[in-house]
Amino acid sequence: MAIYETIFILDSLIPPKDIETTIQKYSAIITENGGKIREVDKWGKRRLAYEIQKKQYGFYVAIEFEGPGTIPRLLEADYNYNDKVLRFLTYRYDKNKLKSMAMDQDKAKAKKAESEPVKESVEKTVVEEKAPEVSEEVVKDDAPVVEDEAVESTEKPEEVAEENPDTEEAGEEEKS
Amino acid sequence: MKVKRKRTCYFEENGIVYIDFKDEKLLRRFLTEQGKIIPRHISGTSAKYQRQLATAVKRARHLALLPYVADFTR
Repeated sequence: MAIYETIFILDSLIPPKDIETTIQKYSAIITENGGKIREVDKWGKRRLAYEIQKKQYGFYVAIEFEGPGTIPRLLEADYNYNDKVLRFLTYRYDKNKLKSMAMDQDKAKAKKAESEPVKESVEKTVVEEKAPEVSEEVVKDDAPVVEDEAVESTEKPEEVAEENPDTEEAGEEEKS
Repeated sequence: MKVKRKRTCYFEENGIVYIDFKDEKLLRRFLTEQGKIIPRHISGTSAKYQRQLATAVKRARHLALLPYVADFTR
């Protein structure tokens, strides 16, 4: 079963109630013929890039669904019959779209898995790695936080240390 | 002597797998003022993505997201 998306432009001058009923009508066509609706997206009223049937504005609706290949034909038969539909486009998701969708899902999963405790541990390890380098390069009294500044101003490491009292503590830890 | 500037494919650089025709702002970057698709020897888009781009632009045009012709008066 492939995934399809159908987008249609309705006349923006018809009342909102009619918009709802037409959306329901087309969703019914999909579900009755063995399809499954994944998402209904109303883009709302938009300005058309060019006039269609002397109209400047249109109401865009996109329905994403999954089902057999007979559905698009049925939908399009009805679109042609309906005067309120200015334009329509039904297409099947190609391999690139499916690939990008899979990638998005993986990203979302990765974000969920990466909760706060994991991040903290990562930061700690980074600090630990940096700390010994600092103690070697700059004689003493420099925390890893100020590492970049310290390397640039190697002439005055003591001043940097004085500016942030926290750094002194970190430096002592390194010695011990 | 013409100085050759190296052009790179926008989509490959940004790791875009699928060119969505709904993203009209992105597509406009690859159109001329008149609404023509910029050839790939000028934009530097790779062949793989130029093919995808063409279908995306054509779908967007059909749905009146992009113009077929945009005449600009002087």
